[in-house]
Amino acid sequence: MSLLRLRAALLGPARLRGAGIPWSVLRNYSSTSTKEKARRNAICERTELLEVLKARVKQLQASNVPEVTVSKVELAPLGKDKCQVPLQRVAVPSPAEEQSAPKRKDEGPARPSNWVEKLKKEMYVRQLKVERKLSIAASQLALEGQAKAKMKSKTKAKAKSKKSLKSLKATVMPTWTQSPAGLSRAYAHKPWLAEMKEGTKEQKPRKVPQKVLEDKESSQYKILQQTILSNLECFQFLQQPEEAERFLLLYHSSPVKRRLLNVTAYNIVMRSWAKKGCLHRINRLFSMLQSVGLRPNLDSYAAELECMSRDESSSKVIQRCVQRLKNDGFHVDELFHKCLFEEDEKEKVLRAIRMIQPNYQLPPPPNPETCKSALLRDFYSREKTVSYPKLDFSAQELRERFQQQLEMELNNTITIESVEATKPLTPQAIKARKLLATLRSQWHNSILQALQKSKHSMSKVNMSGYNLYPYLCLLPDEEYVGIMLQVLNTLSPQGESLAILAKELGSKIYNRYVTQRKLRSRQLEKVQEVYEDYIHLLAKDSQPDEYLPREYWEKLVAEAGFGPSLNLKDCSWPYMLLLRLGMHLLELLVQAVKVPRNILNTRLESKLIPVLYHVYSFRNSWQVGLIKPHPIFSQIVSDAAETMLTFNSFVIPMLCPPVPWTSPHFGAFVLNDTKLMRYVDGAIQHQLLLEQCPQVNLHPVLDALNQLGNCAWKINQPVLDIIISIFNDKGNEKLDIPPPISEAPRPPVAPSNSSAWNKSQKHELLLCKKKTAEMHSLRMDALYKLSIANYVRDKVFWFPHNMDFRGRTYPCPPYFNHLGNDVTRAILLFAEGRPLGPKGLDWLKIHLINLTGLKKKNALQERLEYANEIMEEILDSADHPLTGRKWWMKTDEPWQALACCMEIAKASRSPDPAAYVSHFPVHQDGSCNGLQHYAALGRDLIGAISVNLMPCDVPQDVYSAVAQQVEEFRKKDAQQGVKIAQVLQGFISRKVVKQTVMTVVYGVTRYGGRLQMEKRLKEIDDFPEEYLWEASHYLVKQVFNGIKEMFSATRDIQNWLTESAKLIAQSGRTVEWVTPLGLPVVQPYYRARSTVLNCSMQNLSVKNSNSNQKPDTVKQKNAFPPNFIHSLDSTHMMLTALHCLRRGLTFVSVHDCYWTHALTVDVMNQICRQQFVALHSEKILQDLSEFMLKKYCSSSSPGRETKALWQKKLMEQLSNVPKTGEFNLRKVMESTYFFS
Amino acid sequence: MMAARAPPGAAGCCRRLVAAALAAGLRPLLCGLPPCWSVAWRAAARWSGPGPGPGLRVPEAAEAAQQVQQVQQVQRAGVPLRRFIACPELACTVQRCLQGGAAPGTQPLLLECAPGPGVLTRTLLNAGVRVVALESHSAFLPNLQSLENSLDGQLKVIYGDFFRLDPLITGPVKPPAVCSEKLFESMGVVAVPWRADVPVKIFAILPQKKERNTLWRLLFALYECSSIYKYGRVELNFFISEKEYEVLTAKPGEVRAYQALTVLWQVGCEIQLLHMEPWSSFITNLKNGGLAVPKSTWLPNDHLCLVRLTPRQSLFTGGMKPTNSATFIFMVKQCLAKPRSRLIDRLNSWSLYNGRKLLRELEIPENAQTVNLYPEDYRRLFEALQNSSVFTESWFHDEVLESIRNINF
Repeated sequence: MSLLRLRAALLGPARLRGAGIPWSVLRNYSSTSTKEKARRNAICERTELLEVLKARVKQLQASNVPEVTVSKVELAPLGKDKCQVPLQRVAVPSPAEEQSAPKRKDEGPARPSNWVEKLKKEMYVRQLKVERKLSIAASQLALEGQAKAKMKSKTKAKAKSKKSLKSLKATVMPTWTQSPAGLSRAYAHKPWLAEMKEGTKEQKPRKVPQKVLEDKESSQYKILQQTILSNLECFQFLQQPEEAERFLLLYHSSPVKRRLLNVTAYNIVMRSWAKKGCLHRINRLFSMLQSVGLRPNLDSYAAELECMSRDESSSKVIQRCVQRLKNDGFHVDELFHKCLFEEDEKEKVLRAIRMIQPNYQLPPPPNPETCKSALLRDFYSREKTVSYPKLDFSAQELRERFQQQLEMELNNTITIESVEATKPLTPQAIKARKLLATLRSQWHNSILQALQKSKHSMSKVNMSGYNLYPYLCLLPDEEYVGIMLQVLNTLSPQGESLAILAKELGSKIYNRYVTQRKLRSRQLEKVQEVYEDYIHLLAKDSQPDEYLPREYWEKLVAEAGFGPSLNLKDCSWPYMLLLRLGMHLLELLVQAVKVPRNILNTRLESKLIPVLYHVYSFRNSWQVGLIKPHPIFSQIVSDAAETMLTFNSFVIPMLCPPVPWTSPHFGAFVLNDTKLMRYVDGAIQHQLLLEQCPQVNLHPVLDALNQLGNCAWKINQPVLDIIISIFNDKGNEKLDIPPPISEAPRPPVAPSNSSAWNKSQKHELLLCKKKTAEMHSLRMDALYKLSIANYVRDKVFWFPHNMDFRGRTYPCPPYFNHLGNDVTRAILLFAEGRPLGPKGLDWLKIHLINLTGLKKKNALQERLEYANEIMEEILDSADHPLTGRKWWMKTDEPWQALACCMEIAKASRSPDPAAYVSHFPVHQDGSCNGLQHYAALGRDLIGAISVNLMPCDVPQDVYSAVAQQVEEFRKKDAQQGVKIAQVLQGFISRKVVKQTVMTVVYGVTRYGGRLQMEKRLKEIDDFPEEYLWEASHYLVKQVFNGIKEMFSATRDIQNWLTESAKLIAQSGRTVEWVTPLGLPVVQPYYRARSTVLNCSMQNLSVKNSNSNQKPDTVKQKNAFPPNFIHSLDSTHMMLTALHCLRRGLTFVSVHDCYWTHALTVDVMNQICRQQFVALHSEKILQDLSEFMLKKYCSSSSPGRETKALWQKKLMEQLSNVPKTGEFNLRKVMESTYFFS
Repeated sequence: MMAARAPPGAAGCCRRLVAAALAAGLRPLLCGLPPCWSVAWRAAARWSGPGPGPGLRVPEAAEAAQQVQQVQQVQRAGVPLRRFIACPELACTVQRCLQGGAAPGTQPLLLECAPGPGVLTRTLLNAGVRVVALESHSAFLPNLQSLENSLDGQLKVIYGDFFRLDPLITGPVKPPAVCSEKLFESMGVVAVPWRADVPVKIFAILPQKKERNTLWRLLFALYECSSIYKYGRVELNFFISEKEYEVLTAKPGEVRAYQALTVLWQVGCEIQLLHMEPWSSFITNLKNGGLAVPKSTWLPNDHLCLVRLTPRQSLFTGGMKPTNSATFIFMVKQCLAKPRSRLIDRLNSWSLYNGRKLLRELEIPENAQTVNLYPEDYRRLFEALQNSSVFTESWFHDEVLESIRNINF
């Protein structure tokens, strides 16, 4: 060990200077400083020292050759491996070093076996490497450089000699645990900690790992642990148990690193061996497990039993194993309840059990639990169940659709024609496409070569934690190349941030790997089997079943006896690993892809230049690394005007009903990994929380998501066609159809030499470029949406849903979905049609007027009358959308309005409008939904009236009400001579206060509010500019006062929430709560710590907000009220969704905007109100207070006095639930404009 | 979701200041100066000639401190941290440094930024220096103005903030933000050619929060010959924190300190250390009288350093012009974004295919790391690149434009 320290000390300063000194010193710009002189002296001294060391190594090597031969003789009979290593080449240990060998403990009798040979082989490789290093070093001319290299190789040789000593020792004494100790000791100087701190230079003391290991809760510890597991899983996937074990031993044998291992790590290796039927290996792992004080768990026994079954062990051996299992407090039945079996593991284990109990029967599945939430008692009660609504498909049709979807997901990507494909091809484009095709095939080859070369060099490096080699072996080389080429195809001319590209590449590899794993583990087969039966619940031609999708799926799984094994064993890669892998591939890409410089301009000389370049962009104090395509490449791509788009398969809506969510790990797509809860990269606390809570509590949420996902959609083809025609023409900014880049403003013609431009020319050019860049991204976004819509134009499709951490739901496909803008919403229709019924046509008309944004303050009847008045305009719009009077274009949401006009036209012209089958979704919007929840929470009478919780003849407008209130305050102040109040006379309007009022619910501060006000006042032309600041300051104060006056309890509640969150965060914990539906919520705001990922191209600073860091008090505090309200509005939505399901309604939501058929608007409205009343009849705040008291104040740990004081303060705060007003909640039932 | 916000009203203080200034009847001062002023100034210049100044009484340190505290009392919270020279001895030292032994008559005009209680101002006046005091805080103005009135044109007081010179936003410039053209006009300084002598000296204590920002902005102005540098090689005499001084004067190879800022300032200016003074010698406007010494992890930071930055006469020779210098700045920033990277890799990553040949011509070793290049090397590299057709035709210019947008527009 002392040697290593010496090496570190030597390396330290030398590394600091690097190869830079020689020339900068030799060249005399300024006089050499004394510092530099001293440095040079130090180098000389070091060189001397190195000579001594070198001599010493030679001596050692010479004196030990005989010993090696001896040990070889001993080894020969023991080894199974055929490979014979020329041992003479192995560097040899010295007897003197023996003292430093670690103390060993004998752990059970075990045979040395072929891993010893493995070790030797590896030593051989290392030896070669050292030799190569030496030769390289010799060729270096610079004095210092030489010295450094020598020193490096010297110390390496030293370390190596030591290692080989230990391995030999180990072979002499036939125990298997010791030599790995030696091995890892020898490696100890390697930056094995590289996972988190690759940047750590070797001279850095090894204290870091110690510290990390001591703090089991630290995020670095977790990342490390996760990396080890994913490495082991890689080896398992690659079916390389030897490698896996070697890797495990690396950690196991070091007392320090060993602490990173948990049972799971050992289990993975066991399972790898179990596949091969190597029972003795598993036995050995068991004793290793015990030697470090870990207890085997069910998975360990499952692996052992599986192995026994494979190698045909005697029933006695199995009996013994089962006995040990029982002694550890497990039960045989539990194996089949809890273990996640892959491939044929289950059959094997069952076979083993039946060897000793021939009549053993699989345990019956546990009885399904039912959610007991009071809000859903009716929903889940068995007596009232009705059959699940059927889709308009036969089981056979659904099966075919499932096959299509499966095929698409198996391919992982899908290439579709873009909507621009209809444009004619120019000769220029044909030429450019040809060129691009040739280039691509060249690039394909060069990337493949680069990849293989890098893999080759990596395979030679020793196997420490940060080696990416196994991750580059998971897929066939061609697939890596394909994924890398995809990046090239989608890169925008403006470039993309390095970190984003790296993450994209990394996660693409990961997704592909997961798909492979699902195939390999036969998980897909099982899902397929269950799904085939599952569709009977939905198909029109099968028996009605009284189940929810989740329940039915669970029932089928239980019947098929799959137990929990439909879930894959958790195999997620840590974020850092994804990035590192991505960075590696990106570096290869940047190096490998080249283009001849003269490809567009033959006059230039021909040289290859890289296609991608790497620059930094500077933003304030930040620098961001960007990868940009060379303009030549961008030019070719734009000339080629390619019309094929390649997407990940999860970007396309599903072609069959989504797999129902049954657990936080399982649901949505067939193959694509989808998370139930969206969260920021690297955050794991949500997932943990979901896993920890009783699964039955999640049932309502899962059922609601399934309900939203099961809504079938189709395309409104006439509207889509009109949109595409405008899109392919010149776009239309007014109608939100982004024009093509060719319409972008052109910079003025400027002198050819751009450096000669003056400032204003540069400025103008910049503005043009900025505009072009914006247009490009808008255009691409629209292109993606429309192309996907066009691809599914004749199909029925589904949007699987998931949610954010507050329970707000989102469709999974990112580009094209019903949450999109006016254009995307206008092209979506329900696949299911319903007759309009007696009131349906009226609802369509009212919906149209709502979309126009006119008549907001009028009663529904008036809106309907208005619609009837302008029927002529509506019909004209529907019949001649682009050539007529274009009434629809002047509305707030023109495209949806147009679609609605067409529907009204069709319905009103049908012989019997009530019987007309409509697919059109009608929306009902909550009016200022956040304030509605606040008003209901606080039972604020005035507030409730102003946000339409109270029945009124005409819709109330909270913004006007606040504006009125503020105006009253202003008048009073003006009379009292307040200058600014007088200035503001006549300027206070609904428009001025609207944004602030709206955002008050979401926690806007006075600071932000003032900025909003200032913006609004600036928009008023004749407002005196010099009073802007004062006026906005005054106004925001008055708006806050006004809201306080109207929503008195609301402000109290908001303050109470804020204050509670502040105290909780200050005590070092994060704010958690449970929604009335039972969804656990945790606020993921922590003080971000950034870790530096050192890559050769650029260092990436990765921010990780992890639950092990301290909470960010300010964010925790400010975000709690809005997050809490969001968790309530999502609860309300889910309740409405579930009850709509029971009433047989089609229902989807865009947060606080609910959609259904025109026929069922009235029913939905009724359910929506009922559920709002039901939700707020719960003691929401009391429950929250109780939950928090239990969570944050019950642990009466005998802490210090200050802590007790905190505790007391927090307890007081939490118990002091704000008082409420006297608004009668039941009134909501009769309020027409609550949602309208 | 609304993220954390500054305390309410924080942004408002400056506006309140304006209001206060208006109330104090300072309006004429803001709206330009009476035309006769520059005439009076020239007369005064003739008067002051060589020889000692008016012999004003310099207030004691305690007095100055009290004045600062009084001003602070008037203010509400949110006034930015400022540092003042209160101790007469320190003021003398600074005055000597600024004059550098030259006779007062031969010295250019001195612009003193944010004089506050005016300890240094009086010392300078006593030494016969012609001073323009640019004060951003209206509460200090009455005192300075009465001093101005008691003198025969040796002192000129202007309301404005040097650190809000030529604000980036478009629209009218609102005091205390100042526009360099207005400022120089009222000082009566006219532009001189670049190679001429220093037209004006500027003294300031850089506010900590804006230190880096100010240095960068001045740097852009210097290379573009805009703002104050439109008037010639303006000499800056700044008290900057020691850590920033270490950066400005760092040598190649010093990984922590040697930065793009280093290279650019060293190429652009002669950098001269005039004096080092512990932080404790300055008083702050903090209510608790704290020193608020900024933290520094890697570099020493025990002093404030008085540094003289004189633009080099030879800056715009060779290939460097105010029109293309932005490319130079961009190039240096790119190189030193990762100081340990090899120069050849940087050149290659910009798709300049002949990086190797270029380095050979410049006698720069191929494996040189960017941190090891001397400022002079960067200049030579830039000049060589200017002559390369591949470089001038490349995408590099677009990038430069973009980087300018991020800083200058």
